[in-house]
Formats: sequence, structure tokens, C-alpha cells
Amino acid sequence: MTDDSSPEFAQELLDDFYAECDEQLGVLRDLLTGLETTRADPAPSCFEPLFRTMHSLKGNAAIVGLRAAEELAHVAESYLKGLTRGELALSDAGLEKLLQTVQRLESIIGAHRQRSPIPAVADLVDGLKQFASPAPATPATDAPPPAPAGEASTTPPPTPAGDLYRFTFSPSNELDARGVNLDAVRARLGALGTVRSSHPVIKTGGMTFEFVVETSTPPDAADWLESGVTLAPISSSDATIAASSVESPVVPSSLASEPLDLPAAEDQGASLFIAPSHIVRVDIGRLDDLLRIAGELVIHRSRLEDRLNHGITDSSALKEVNLSLTRSLRELREAITRVRLVPVAEVFARLPFVVRDLARSSTKKARLIIEGRHTEIDKFVVERLKEPLLHLVRNAFSHGIETPDERLAAGKPAEGAIVLSAAAEGGFVIIKIRDDGRGVDARNLVSRAQALGVSAPPVLDDKAILDLLCTPGFSTREETDRAAGRGVGMSVVRDVVQDLGGNLSLQSVPGRSTQFTLRLPLTLSIVETVLFSVAGQTCAVPQNLVQEIIETAQSAIQPIRQTLIIPYRNGVLPVVRLGNLFGATTPTPPASSASSGTHATARSTVPVIVIRSEAGFAGLVIDRVVGQREVVVRPMDDPLIQAPGILGATELGDGRPVLILDALTLLEGAIRPLSASERTEAAALIASSS
Amino acid sequence: MTESDTYILFELAGSTYGIRSEQVQRVELLEHVTAVPNTAPSVDGVVFSRGKVIPALNLRARFGLPRLPYDRSTRLILLNVQQRVVALIVDAAREFKKLSPDSIRPIGETLHGVEGNYVEGVATLPDRMILLLDVAAVLAPEEIELPAGAPAAPTA
Repeated sequence: MTDDSSPEFAQELLDDFYAECDEQLGVLRDLLTGLETTRADPAPSCFEPLFRTMHSLKGNAAIVGLRAAEELAHVAESYLKGLTRGELALSDAGLEKLLQTVQRLESIIGAHRQRSPIPAVADLVDGLKQFASPAPATPATDAPPPAPAGEASTTPPPTPAGDLYRFTFSPSNELDARGVNLDAVRARLGALGTVRSSHPVIKTGGMTFEFVVETSTPPDAADWLESGVTLAPISSSDATIAASSVESPVVPSSLASEPLDLPAAEDQGASLFIAPSHIVRVDIGRLDDLLRIAGELVIHRSRLEDRLNHGITDSSALKEVNLSLTRSLRELREAITRVRLVPVAEVFARLPFVVRDLARSSTKKARLIIEGRHTEIDKFVVERLKEPLLHLVRNAFSHGIETPDERLAAGKPAEGAIVLSAAAEGGFVIIKIRDDGRGVDARNLVSRAQALGVSAPPVLDDKAILDLLCTPGFSTREETDRAAGRGVGMSVVRDVVQDLGGNLSLQSVPGRSTQFTLRLPLTLSIVETVLFSVAGQTCAVPQNLVQEIIETAQSAIQPIRQTLIIPYRNGVLPVVRLGNLFGATTPTPPASSASSGTHATARSTVPVIVIRSEAGFAGLVIDRVVGQREVVVRPMDDPLIQAPGILGATELGDGRPVLILDALTLLEGAIRPLSASERTEAAALIASSS
Repeated sequence: MTESDTYILFELAGSTYGIRSEQVQRVELLEHVTAVPNTAPSVDGVVFSRGKVIPALNLRARFGLPRLPYDRSTRLILLNVQQRVVALIVDAAREFKKLSPDSIRPIGETLHGVEGNYVEGVATLPDRMILLLDVAAVLAPEEIELPAGAPAAPTA
């Protein structure tokens, strides 16, 4: 026995377990939803991957002693085995049961992770068994022989055919290094005889695993001890006790996993999502990239050493090495960034289930359509998006989608559609949640605002509506219904998105649709920027938003209605004088700013940074371009300095903060298609000035 | 004698104020403040400190007093309270002092004006009075006078 089976080691084991379960549940969900949408009579081979995944999940659950999950997975696995062999056919009801199983497994694992009571499985186990037992013997009846309560557990143990031994395995890092891990021990035990039960025992200083094995070959204790396993023979009556009361006395209550009588906890409003995981599964190709870059860096370094040893006669040789180093470091940074990226499917995959559930418990009909599931986003971002997306999808169902009657009357299909899409745009990921429902009812919103004593602006455009919706405590429904009324609320949704350096917007078409758009940075912390000065201050904008930088004559900047425009290509470009932003709202700044500002306006031409976005182009009128620079973004998270249009700040080596501007937010009002009359006006202005 | 607390003393518009030293991370010379648009009027901008971007709050503006241009005696007092780090811009700061609790009494009706909202007590010494700053009140979010969430004014 070794002593280094530390709690960290046990925790690591559990973390691995959760990560693996997440992956397996994801695979199961994907495959099942696939079956659900194709509907065509699937070939038995379609069930093969389902069967295999369910089997691995069962094994994992057994390792950590999560009996409820193991039991449920076991029956599901037998059903799937029947399907794989073609002995059974999949019915709609059976598919439904399998979908429920995946959901229940998810709640069980989530509960285990959060150390909360484990949901019961008896109802589903019974349900599945009806499908799993092949029909021929007893023609499928609606009333299966009622099993006495409490017998809904795993298949009763067969009568012992050999002697029973209790094996206790204490895993440790040292054993692990020798390749002796749980899997290995389990496999060896499996070869020795029949593993009758297995469960972990958590005690101060670590975790051990106990197995009850039935074998006719007496095991060699010394041999097993080498693998950190102790063993002792037990009488068969002891074994029965051990197997049946396996969880309760040995496992501390915080980790206990006995099923409690909490039927279908996921329907009771428990969060569907489990605590954020900090584990990223990495494609081996991406790791190879990192290794290759590390190799290149080694080569650069040896070249550098070589040059240094030969005495530096001319600096161009050093410059060349420096250039190579710079390139490799950038590559390294990009490769590491890629390692952090995960597909949004990680957070999307659960949401169709949410909509299914809502639709089932409501008269409304809706389905969730997912687009761009392979779009990648930083792991940190995706973890924090879970709750907000859940809320938005629930919102879409409860507030957006109408009843089938209302929909038919409005000339829409009875079933509503909620489209969840993700796409990359520059350094951002755009996530949209769109429903084809009734849109936001502005009048209803205003009266609601009045009832709450919230002042509503006279003109309710989408932005004002969103601001209202994001007022803490605001809800457009009188009676908060099951789907949307609880949980995080729109204000929290917006906070989360903004904390991540993104923004939230709303596009509502009354009677037709509601769409929430989340614009989120693809990765955090390091961005390539264009540096410039304006009103005496150096600022930066992310380079991926910059289309080009042009010089324009001061006189060419023309006001038209609420916007400034300049001629651009064959049309016009709406622009914003960035100097006004700083001049108008900041205190008379100390030092240099005033002078350089006036200096700039005295010049006849000014640079304009042309920003591109989904909606078109717009320009930032600045004083001077400073250059390009890769910068580390520092968040500005104190409430005193959270300002729209600012992504964060950076520092260029002189200790002065340089603001990184979110050009798209700053230009929000400016980037919009011109109306017909504005176009005419603009054309006239351009004609007269050129 | 009861235990005395150490205070950092600073000057603002002719009055002496004190902040309990455990709330102060350090005091710095003010070199440069980067203005941040769309923030509360009393926020002069941000400064860098140990890799963090920190708001610089102009205490004169916070108290509704006229601003002064920064000069050599201007100081940044970096407060560290409730997991926030915020810098206060004050006219001058150059003293530490132990104040015995006996010399401190709560503010009564004695103090009026905006400052009154931000002072939690007064320490009376033989030669002068020290107003003790209510740091929590100073750092509480100010009612923002901008239209909620408005970005930049788009036009000239």
C-alpha cells in the first residue's frame, strides 16, 4: 500500500470522469437526435455506436460508484444491444425513453458533481425494461407484471459458482506511472472471475476501491499486493450484504450516491447544467502543432547561440534570428489559442431537449434548429454562455412562440421554429437566437414598465426595448410561467455577455420574429490592434475589424440628418468623429490633449479608419495613425469604468493605459442603410463638393 | 488606553481627511490618467497598477468641488476594499497618523454639503480636525447622468 493516494488524485479522477461523461452524453444526444430527425427505419448498425457509448458510460459510472447511473445505463445498454442485433425494433416511445435516459443520466452526473441528491431512476429503469426484454415470449402488453417496489435494481446476482473475495485497490500516482490504474485492475479482476460489485471508499487521505469478486481460482495475495491491491476471502452471506448496502456506510454523505426519492429532478427546475468544467479535450493535431513550434524555437535559439559565439560583427544576423523568433512566438500564441477553442456544440447540444421538454408540457409546439454547431469559441466563453443561452431559448419559447391556433390564424405553421445559430466573424463569434413568433409587443412592455414604475422612453426602438427587458426584475408576463419566469433574467444575460467583452442586441419584428444577437470575442486576452491617436490620447481598435485606413479631406465630411458621411468608393461612408467622444464626456483633461486636438483639426486631411461589420462599413475619424501592435487586453471590470464601446485597456511599455475600443459598438448608430431620401441628399452633397 | 488605528491623511480643498490604513494599498504620484468616455463625471479615467486597470476617481469632482489641474503634490491613493482596487485623486497626501478612538466621534449635524455624505466620523486633535472618509460611500456607483447604455454621440 502506498500513501500518496492524495485527495487531489481522487479529485482528478472524478474530473476525468465528468469530462468523459460530458463527452459520452454529448455523443449519445447527437446520435439520438439524429435518429429522431431522420425517422426512417434505421438499420441495426446505426445503434452500434449508441450501444458502445452507453456501455463505456456504464463502466465509468461503475468506477466512481455512481450506482444510479450505472443501473440506468445498464438497462439502456441491454435495450440498445437488442436493437443493434436486430432483435428489437425502435419505436417512437422507445426513442423517447432513450432520450429521457440521457437526460436523467445527465442530471445524475450533474447532481454527483454538485454533491446534491441523486435523482431516482426506478421509473425509467422499469420503462426501459419493457422495451429491452424481447417481445416474443410475452406479447407486449400495456400492463407489465408489476415488480415489487424496491426490486427495481440491477439484475439479481446469480448464485455463487466460486468463492468470494474482497479486493481493495488504492490507486496512487506511483502505481499509475507503472500502468496500474483502475481500468487495469478491473480488467485483471474480470479475467480472474466475475466482479460482483465495485465501489469507491472515500476516507481522509485518499480514495480506495473495493471489488467483490467471485472466482474459483484462489488469487495470489502477494502478487496482487504489488499492484496496490489487498484481498481477503469473504463468506457468501457477507458478500450479499456488501453488495446490497454498498454505498451507505462507507461513503461520506457529501459524496453519497444512493438514489433518493426525487422523481425526475430535471423537471423540477433544477439547472440543466452542471458546474463549469475546466477540462479541454484537445485534438492531437493541435498538440503536434505546438510541439513543432517548440522545435522551431529550439532551432532559433541554437542559431542565436551560434551567432553570439562567433562574435557579433553585424547586427543583421541577429535581426534575422529575432525575426524568426517573433514569427515562431506568434505561431505559438495562435496555436495555444486554438487549443482553447471548443465547438459551440458543447453548449448547444442540450438545448433541443429543453425545447422538447417545454413543448411537451405546454400546448405550444416548437422545435429548435441548430446552425453552425462546429463554430469554435474559447472554452472560458462557452462555459459562461450556458445559462444565458438556456434563458434565451426558454424565453423564445414562452414569450415568442404563439399557440398553434394563434399561429395558424397568423398564417404560420402550427409548429414554431427557434433557430440557434453560431458563426465566426473576424475575431468574434456571433450567436443568434431567433424565433418566428409574435415579436416583442411594445405596448405591453410600456404598460408593464409603468406598472413597475420604470420610466420607458417615448420611442421604443429595439435598443430601448432591450434596455427595458434588461431592467432587473422586469418580465413581460403577468404570471411568470414555468419556462422563463425563474432563473437568470435578461439583465443577467446581458451582464454575462458584457463581462465576456461582448454585446447583446435585439431585433424584433412585431408579429413575425424576435432575434437576440450575442457578439462575443473568439478568444480573450491577446489581440492584434491598430493604434492611433485622437484628442491627444492613444487608442487601439482590433485589427480584424479594420477594412482599411483612408485619408479624407476635412471638407468632405458632411452632416446629413443625424449622421456624418464622406464619399467612399462609389457611395458614402457614415463616419463618427472619435474626438467628440473624448472631448464631450471627459473632464478637461490634463496635459497635452487640447493642443494636438486643435492641431489635427487645422489640417486639411484626416485619417479615417474604415470598420467593417456584418451590417456594412463605417468610419472612425481620428487624428493620426500610430501603427499596428499585438497587445494584451486587460479587462476593465470595476463598475466605475464599465463603459459601452470599451473592450479593455492595454499598456505599451510606458505604464499608461491605452483604451481598446469596441469600434462596432461605437459605430452602432452610424452603421445602417441610408433611407432613399438620405441617399439622394448624400448624392447631391457629394456632387457639389467634388 | 484603547488601541489606536493608523490613518493615511490627505488634503482636499483645504480640509484634512483620513482613511484607515488597512484600506489603502499605497499612495502614488500621479503621472498620467487615461480618460474613459461614457463613465461617471467624477471618474477622470484609468491608471495601471500592477497589471490591473484601475479607475481613478477625482475626489474633488465626487464632492462637487471645482477640479484643480494635476500638479506635483497631486496624489493617487490606491484603495483596496471589497475586492476592488480604486484610486482616489486628492490634492496632497503625506502623513500617517495614529488616531485614538477617544478622539473620534460620529458626525452629527455639524457637517453639511456633499462631503457630509462621504464622511463617517471626525477626529479632533488639539491643533486641527480630521474628517474620516466613508470609503464605501465614496466607491458606491454614482447615479450615471448619461442616458442608460448610450454609446458615443454619433454626430458633431
